[in-house]
Amino acid sequence: MAPKTKDDAELADFGRFSEPALLILVSLAEGPRHGYSMTEDIEAIAGVCLGPGTLYGALARLESRGLIEPLKSEDRRNPYRLTALGERALRARLDSMMAVARTGQRRLASA
Amino acid sequence: MNWLLHLYPARWRERYGDEFRAVLAGQRASLALFFDVLGGAVDAHLHPQILHSHANQTKGDDTMTLAMLQRCTAGGARLSPDDRRIASRVTTISALAIAVLSIVLTKIYREAAPVQALIYAAAPALSMVYAQTAYLRRRSWRVQAFLLGGGLSGMYLFMLAICLIAKRL
Repeated sequence: MAPKTKDDAELADFGRFSEPALLILVSLAEGPRHGYSMTEDIEAIAGVCLGPGTLYGALARLESRGLIEPLKSEDRRNPYRLTALGERALRARLDSMMAVARTGQRRLASA
Repeated sequence: MNWLLHLYPARWRERYGDEFRAVLAGQRASLALFFDVLGGAVDAHLHPQILHSHANQTKGDDTMTLAMLQRCTAGGARLSPDDRRIASRVTTISALAIAVLSIVLTKIYREAAPVQALIYAAAPALSMVYAQTAYLRRRSWRVQAFLLGGGLSGMYLFMLAICLIAKRL
């Protein structure tokens, strides 16, 4: 699905990490979480079990683009939170997906 | 399965190692998990720029010019004087070694195609040695050996093919 806006394009060139990155952003939309909590949340909302290799590949990309940021933590599990840029990118991506879903449903209904 | 973490680059382990171990400990060992971690390690070696690249981009006043220089210049702005000094030494030693080897092989085998290919490949190979020594210096020796060895072998085989074709014409 080609991006339509600049914010939507933030996730577009993540390659195989696009979907995990989107799921991570959705998980963080509820509030800061650490890696293990994200994998549990993502499994609950999408039925996808992200392995640590995929999870941290996507997290590193999101962090490098400034879409998420780590919070200071006492223990070894750093929580992450969405940045303003990440929130805009997630909103744009979801809007774009919703538009496709609405079109698909409308076409199915009229078929 | 924690030993797989050693396959990741040192900088990556410093940044994400502890968190990664915590997530890994919470998952059941399986072949899928093994390949996931392995794939992550390959990705981390292939894309080292994803570590802290945002932080680097937002530092400094002239980031666009710096990014252009980094992309366009050979031995460009990202290299420290130390990087350039070491790359120059390695390139000079390589040039001398190739010169000596070419003289010796020419004495023994005269104008044989493999010897000619070595001479023709020398100049591009030396620029490859300089660039790769400078830019890959902080990567693991395995990555350096793979990229530099692969590049030089490819260059030599290409020149050898040209020489063999030229001899048949």
